[in-house]
This record gives sequence, structure tokens and C-alpha cells, in this order.
Amino acid sequence: MSSIASRQPWADRKLTDNLPAVIGSIIPAATAIMIAVLAGLDFSFALIVIFLPLQLLSAAILGFRYARIRGVKDALLVFGSIFLSTNVFVLLMSVLYAVVAQGITAMSPQFLAQNNVYVNTTTSLEYGGVGHAILGTLLIVLMTTIAAVPLGIAMAVFLTQSDSKTKGLIRTVTQALSGLPSVVSGLFILAFMGFAHLERSGFTGALALFPLMLPTVARVAEEALRLVPSDLRLAALALGAPNYRAFFQVILPAAKSGIITALLLGLARVVGETAPLILTTNANNGTNLNPFAGGIATLPTYVYGFLGSGYQTSQLRAWGAALVLLILVGLLFGFARVVSRTKTDSKRSKNKKVK
Amino acid sequence: MPQPSGLSAPERRKLKTGPLSKGDKWFFRTTTIASNFAFLLVALILIFLLAKSFPALQQQGPAFLFGSKWDPEAEKPVMQLGPMLWGSIQVAFLGILIATPMAISAAYVIVFMLHDRLAKIATTLIDLLAALPSVVIGLWGLLSFAPVAANWARLLHESLGWLPFFTIGNESGTFTDSPFIAGWIVAVMIVPIITSVTREIFSQMDAGLINGALALGGGRYSVFRQVILPTSATGILGGILLGLGRAIGETVAILYVLQLSMDINWFEILEPRGGAVASWILARFGEATPAEYEGLMAAGLVIFIVTLLVNVVANLIVSRSAGRRK
Repeated sequence: MSSIASRQPWADRKLTDNLPAVIGSIIPAATAIMIAVLAGLDFSFALIVIFLPLQLLSAAILGFRYARIRGVKDALLVFGSIFLSTNVFVLLMSVLYAVVAQGITAMSPQFLAQNNVYVNTTTSLEYGGVGHAILGTLLIVLMTTIAAVPLGIAMAVFLTQSDSKTKGLIRTVTQALSGLPSVVSGLFILAFMGFAHLERSGFTGALALFPLMLPTVARVAEEALRLVPSDLRLAALALGAPNYRAFFQVILPAAKSGIITALLLGLARVVGETAPLILTTNANNGTNLNPFAGGIATLPTYVYGFLGSGYQTSQLRAWGAALVLLILVGLLFGFARVVSRTKTDSKRSKNKKVK
Repeated sequence: MPQPSGLSAPERRKLKTGPLSKGDKWFFRTTTIASNFAFLLVALILIFLLAKSFPALQQQGPAFLFGSKWDPEAEKPVMQLGPMLWGSIQVAFLGILIATPMAISAAYVIVFMLHDRLAKIATTLIDLLAALPSVVIGLWGLLSFAPVAANWARLLHESLGWLPFFTIGNESGTFTDSPFIAGWIVAVMIVPIITSVTREIFSQMDAGLINGALALGGGRYSVFRQVILPTSATGILGGILLGLGRAIGETVAILYVLQLSMDINWFEILEPRGGAVASWILARFGEATPAEYEGLMAAGLVIFIVTLLVNVVANLIVSRSAGRRK
């Protein structure tokens, strides 16, 4: 991405050269919308009816001054794409802000530590919390990880090293499976439970998350293994190492950060899944650390359960649990970024030295 | 001809092409079995869902997909999925309609306009949006977004109410729980998918093509319209199909913001009734009778087959278009 951008002629021009003109072009439209909103007009209405046409007009004028009629189209493209892509970030920020702002009011040490044994929909927030749900989520996700990560890595090894004819088909099926709807995964395990005479428990919840985590791990791990130069493997084989030692002692250490990224992204994929857990586990207000019997609470089902009742305190509990979930996902995601970044950065610095 | 003694050729050695050591044998065996697990998983899901839903499918026949009556408690249970199926298509289509322009713009801005560091931050943010759990999106959608979107819906109805899409039967309506809002929620969930696929394809563009167009006197707009868009159109289509797969499978978030109704709603997207197969499964599951349970399994089978097909096609398109460019 970066390499292409730097090769484009317009990338040589500094963005700041145009900045005064660009900022200047926003002023009339921004003033108009401020006046309109102060005069009592609805913001989103004013945005579409007043801000957008005025801004398009001033962008067109700006473009015309730079490059006549061709510049008008260019300026409209630039402004239009900035406007639309800003919407994406506004939506994202709106989600993050809502969860943090509402969730923080429910947050307290006791909310993180206690379980919900004596809590009903109207109990005040000073009692009870999500402690049991955090433990339940960790337990279920841990069980899924133990099964899905080795299997996913084994699939990735096959996809990168084998010359089998079915490889392409397997890759396509794996990719398609990574779009498996979570509710289908839940129904599948539910049907399986009927045949195997399994009771609903944390274990069945972990089973239901497994088909969702496996393809994600396999896909990311395959990309990580693909980045390891094949010379390394061939050199190990030429030195007389059997394939499995070449993998465990040469390829795996070389792809370590990528494999960890696969693990973390797989975790982030399943930690917030709700529908499969609703279908395959029973809710529980207390702490249950036995994955093979009894109901077990998890963060997503906790949010789901408390949002169902319309009371203010229950909704705040749901926001609080959502914030905990968000922090969990954010941490996993942040770790994945850090792990993969250190690798690319060290590569880049090596390249610079060679040059 | 008698051979001279002492010059007999050594015994032929058999050439081995397989694994050389026991460890390797196990290594190959394990990875092969593991990779075939992908097939196994698809087969198992199909078999189990089919086995559980077969009685219902046999009893309902093709009307299961097209009828619009759901009465599992009758003496002869009737379960027909038509409105939900149409609702899934409607909501997914709305979501794609809203998400695609935003996603292509975001990818364009990231690849062709932002400087490296900002582009990296923006990419991370988009990926973060993809990682948000759907229950969190649903919570936000119900409590924060729905009131705002209901206001948009009211504005749409008041200014463009003469269009058949924006009519509503009940004038005192609150404009919530409509396919319009569900479409927005789905759009929030599929924007990151389409953006990341499009971004990937934009960033693999042949810089020579772009520079050539610029050298011929093209501007930003003509380069975008005549070079970037035509070369990446198939890839973007693949990304949109990936989004479609996700939209059809979306369950919890839609359940919160949409009034599920067996009264089919063809095009009046501001009406508070709509459908989504996945959400219907979850909504009905709690108090399902054994007969209805089988019907819901059949509904699961339907979305499994649809999403699997959509995803296979989407992935083929995406990998083809990426391969051709390199």
C-alpha cells in the first residue's frame, strides 16, 4: 500500500500546500449548517440539504480554479470520498463512545469481581457483577482454543507444503467456512447433542465455537507460513532433517509471530459470539467452573440476557458487560497488532541495511 | 550366454518416494487428516442438520420456502419461511446499498489519498470495526442508534413519502424496528469486510497503469473512473458477496432492531415489520415445540447452504482477481 502511494505523482505534492484553500472551502458550508442547527433545524437534515450542496459547490469552485472543468470532477471525487469514508469512522466512533460512556457508569471493582446470584432485573448496580461471566467466557474460549489452534495450524501446514490435488478445494472450503453464520454452528452442535445424548454445558458451548474459530486460525496461519521463505525449509531438508523437524525447529520459529497473530485473531473472532452460546448453553447467575455440567454464564449471553428486560439498571449492566467484552477484544486485537508489527518493522530495517 | 562369475549386477534397490522416517509419516498423516477436516465439517453440518430437519422438510414440502404462515402448535403444524427469507434478502440488499459506497470511498481514501501513517491507523480502525462482537453492535443499535435512525426514517418519509418505498400504513408510527434500521446495522457490520477486500485490491493495482493514465493527461477522476474502477470491479464484487454472506448470517444484532413478522413486507422499508431467517431461529428457539424445533433446524439448513454457496463464489472471485493482477 505504502509503496504504491509513494510512487504516485500526486504523493510528491505536499498535502499542506493545498490546506489553506481546502480549509477555506469548508468555511461557508460549515457556517451555514451551524446557523441552520442553531435555528432549530435537524442536524442530519441540515447535513444533507444544506452542508452537502454548499460544500460540493465550494469544492467545485476550488477545483475549477486549479484545473478548469477537469479539476471540478477531481475535487468532487476527493470531497465525496472523504465525506463518505468519514461516515464509516463516525459510525465506529459512535459505537466505541456509546459503549465506553455508558459502560463506565456500571464499572467498579465489585462489578468485575462478583457474580449475579442475588441479582434480578431491578437490583441496583452496587450489587452483583460480571465476574462469573468473565470466568465462563475464558473457560469456554480456552477449551475451544486447545482444540482449534493445533488443528488450524496443521491445516495451514498442509495448505502450504503439500502438493496434493485437493489443496485448492480445501483452501476454498476453508475460506468459505470462515463465513459460517454463527447461528448455524450453534444449531449444528445442538443437533449433534441430540445424537450424542449430551447435556447443555460449557463443553457444548465450546464445541459450538469450534467451527467458527478453526477456519480463522487456519487462514491466518497459512498466510503466516507462506511468508517463511521456502529456502529455509529446503535447506533444513538438505541437511538431512526430516520434514517434521524442519517444521518444528525451522519454520515454526520463523513464523512465530504470525502464528500468535492467528491465535489472537481466532480468539477475537469467537470471544464475542452470542448465538451459538444461547443455543447450546444454559444461563447461570452463579460462578460455575465445571465445564461438563450445569449452566455457565458468558459475557455475550450476559449482555443478551440483561438487554432483553427493559429496565434501566439491567441495560446499564448490559453496557458494562459490553465494555468488558470490548476491552477483551481490544486487548486481543492490540496484541495481534503489536506482534505482527514488530516483525514487519524488523524486516524493513534489515532491507534498509542491505540497500 | 553364460555370465562371467563375480560380475553379477547388484540387486535393484526400490526407489522410495514417500516419507523417509516414521516421524515424517505421522507428520504427513496428521496434517492430511487435519486438512480434510474442512470437508468433514461441512459434511457433518449438512448431515446433522438434514437428519434433524428431515421430518419437517418432508411434511412442509416446497411451501416451506415460499409460504407465509408459521403455526407449529396446530394439530398439523404449518411452518413456512417465506417472509423471513424475503426479509433476509431485503435487509442484506439495503445493507449492501448503504455500505458499498462508504466502503469503496474508505478504501480509496486509505490507499490513494492518506499518507502512510494515517493510512495505517485508518486500516487498524476498520479492522477493529470488523472485530466488534455482533451483540455489542446490537446493543448500540437498539439503545443509541435506533432513535437517531428513526429520525432519519421520519425525515425520509416526510420529504420523500410519495415514493412507494417510503410510505407507511400507520401514520402514528415511531419509525423504529424497521428493515431500514436493520439495513443500517447490517451495513455497519459489512463495511469493514468490503473495505478490507477493496483496499487490498486497490493496493495491488499496477502503478504503471495509473502513472500511464496520468502521463496521458488524466486527472484524479478519470484515473479513478477509467483505470482503477474497471480493473478492480470483479474484486470489489467479490468483497460485496462476502458482505452478503455475512449479512444473511447475521443474527443477534438484527434481532434487537427489527420487528420480525410473518406478515410479508415487500418494499415498505420504513414499516416496523420485516424478517431475517437467522434472527427468526433465535427468536423462536426459546419456547419451541419439538415440531417447531425441526422447522428451525430446516431454516438453519437453508441459511447454511445459501451462505456456503455465496462464500465459495465470493472467495473464488476475490482470489482470481488478486491472482490475475499479480
